[in-house]
Amino acid sequence: MSTASASATRAHLRPVPLAWRNLTANRRRLARSGAGIGFAVLLMLMQLGFEQAFFDSSLQVIRGLDGDLFLQSAHKYQFATQDPFSAAALDAAKRVPGVASARPLYADWYDVFWKNPSNGKMFPVRALAFDPDQPIFLFAGVNDRREELKSADAILIDRRARRFLGMNSAPVQSELNGVTVRIVGDFALGPDFQSDGSIIMGDRTFNCLIPGGGGKPPKIETGVIKLAAGADPIKVQSALEQALPSAIAVMTKPELIAFERRFQAAVSSAGPIFAIGTVVGFVVGMLISYQVTYTDVSDQLPQYATLKAIGFPTRFLLRVVLEQAALNGLAGWFPAWLGGILLYRLIGEVALLPMRMSLAITFLSLGLTLGMCLISAAIAVRRVIAADPAEVF
Amino acid sequence: MLAWRILTHQKGRTALALVGIFMAILLVFVQLGLFFAVPQGGMLLYDNMRFDLLLVSDQYEYQAQPGAFPLTEVDHVHAAPDVAAVTPIYFGVAKWKGGVGGVWPDLFVIGFDPAGHVFLPDSIDRQISVIERPDTMLVDDATRPIFGPLTTSRIVEIGDRVVTIGGQYTLGTGFMGLGVALANPSNFTRLFPGRGLGQVNLAPIRLKSGVDPELAAVKLRKLLGAGTQIFTRRELAAQETSYWTTRTSVGLIFGSGLLIAIVVGIMVVYQIVSTQVSRQLPQFATLKAIGYDDSALAATVATMSLLIVAAAFAPALAVGVWVYRLIREQTLLPVTMTAGHAATVLVAALAMAGMAALLALGGLRRADPADVF
Repeated sequence: MSTASASATRAHLRPVPLAWRNLTANRRRLARSGAGIGFAVLLMLMQLGFEQAFFDSSLQVIRGLDGDLFLQSAHKYQFATQDPFSAAALDAAKRVPGVASARPLYADWYDVFWKNPSNGKMFPVRALAFDPDQPIFLFAGVNDRREELKSADAILIDRRARRFLGMNSAPVQSELNGVTVRIVGDFALGPDFQSDGSIIMGDRTFNCLIPGGGGKPPKIETGVIKLAAGADPIKVQSALEQALPSAIAVMTKPELIAFERRFQAAVSSAGPIFAIGTVVGFVVGMLISYQVTYTDVSDQLPQYATLKAIGFPTRFLLRVVLEQAALNGLAGWFPAWLGGILLYRLIGEVALLPMRMSLAITFLSLGLTLGMCLISAAIAVRRVIAADPAEVF
Repeated sequence: MLAWRILTHQKGRTALALVGIFMAILLVFVQLGLFFAVPQGGMLLYDNMRFDLLLVSDQYEYQAQPGAFPLTEVDHVHAAPDVAAVTPIYFGVAKWKGGVGGVWPDLFVIGFDPAGHVFLPDSIDRQISVIERPDTMLVDDATRPIFGPLTTSRIVEIGDRVVTIGGQYTLGTGFMGLGVALANPSNFTRLFPGRGLGQVNLAPIRLKSGVDPELAAVKLRKLLGAGTQIFTRRELAAQETSYWTTRTSVGLIFGSGLLIAIVVGIMVVYQIVSTQVSRQLPQFATLKAIGYDDSALAATVATMSLLIVAAAFAPALAVGVWVYRLIREQTLLPVTMTAGHAATVLVAALAMAGMAALLALGGLRRADPADVF
């Protein structure tokens, strides 16, 4: 009878979510610790978001190109630098089996100056151009304007360009390199850390703008290749490498993206800067979380000692403390994550950065949060392990 | 002193608090350092030049995007009575056809007449005769490894010229690019034949001794045609800083980091002080009961916050200097600890302490002697 009632009591006790009860026993304290951990998480989220936006912004042009394989000068160390090649290479590429189309991208990052129509100031812009009969861009709003872009004075402007370029006020006319141009539409690309804004135009307009063109067709910056249905990209890639001079590099889209990302990581300070910020956020979070767990464990020490005295193993108490730390972490992480989405949107609009809450950032920040809470709890929990029921009372 | 006694009563707890505040202050140091490093990086070239006034185009945006103006304006300035010397400076970008793995990185070339002694670094002054040699350039020693070895007398094809590296100098690449080189005007025009020397990018002006730069600037502005402008050093610093903080994402990225760092700091101090208050609540209530008023208790709490922050500040400053050096080496950004930074962070830290104390006092005010026992 007595064993039955004891086991009934145990059975009744077992499902009691002790960590949860501890956590919610003092809502004020929960709010306080959640806010502390949350701010540390928010700090990490901002740093992770900026880092991702930095890389994403420099990759947006490549991602906006509609191709399976890409040709560019083998001397290039980054995508956004001029090093054009001749049209003959593109013609040779067209003859390679498995290639459905090989189209030119013309580009210039230094020599095209846009005049802000409202104040007359000149700014260098990224100029991208294509043959309107051979579309290559995935940006919405470009391909519907192909007919208009055939005339030599038509351009499209970037409505996400930095505001001081004056592109967001929907002007109808301005100047590029002193030549009057008509604005026939717009697209959304946004600045990166090199260019403040972009212009997309037809090859005829581009030819009129670039100094030294002299009526010859412009040189090609990138060849955009689409594969025939069923063609194996790797086989076509090596066939192209055979057919083309060694001064031309052939890359798949992922390879081109990796190439640019590698350059940005190697030469820019973005990686280490944002990594330092993230680490500092992590350590601050650990300290806050340690403080929270330590205080809580000290406050509940008699209760923990009591549990020990009535026979709960240390392992159980350990689990309660760690669970509670993890729950505390979640209580900080979730509002910070929501706040992060909001801040990303706000900063993305103000700074024109491609800030977005990706799955990678979500899981990374969650992992870091749980990591910092569990590590600090593991350090703080030593008090419970040492708790001697006889001493507490 | 009550605040001191409370803090030293439980040394482990106070040590923990110190570590927390230390991290928060360090965080503020890092964000603030980065925030100022970017405009400072933009000022790098100017900080290494001798001039009182700078003549530039009215299209001037920042150092690496200065616009250009006719050389004749430089002659006008040269003829002005206040002016001791004026040196035209030219910028160009050319392919360095000798990068690692066959790549051709872009080289930022500065063309100038070395006889003008416009640059401060010794390493440039000592090598003036080298710069004077035909098809010879000096390379900045902060030029990135992607350019390959920068050894003296290495021959590199730059643009369409074959150029000899005459030596290295120490100035830094700032935001000019991954690699920077110095060339005399005739080597510069050989490198950029389409360009000539008629269009100048910058013209640093040195005034005769005793001439007030502000007054001289006013006089020179009257002398010059449209399409140019003159900056004093102070105006130039303001222009560069405002470019980097308002025209780029830099201000927002590190500004928001700074703001969050301060909020985190407040949270940490608050967390610690409020924990202390709630643990000592019976004692505080007792003090209340024996006649201490709220303001005396508030003063104790405020003193506690300030003591913790003040004690954590010194080690944070020391480690901050070390972290700055680390960032400098990792990013080549000129993150430096100035007295201004230290003072700003100290003020921010004290503000954190004040805010946290105010928040923590909420709990204390409710301490009712009758409730506690």
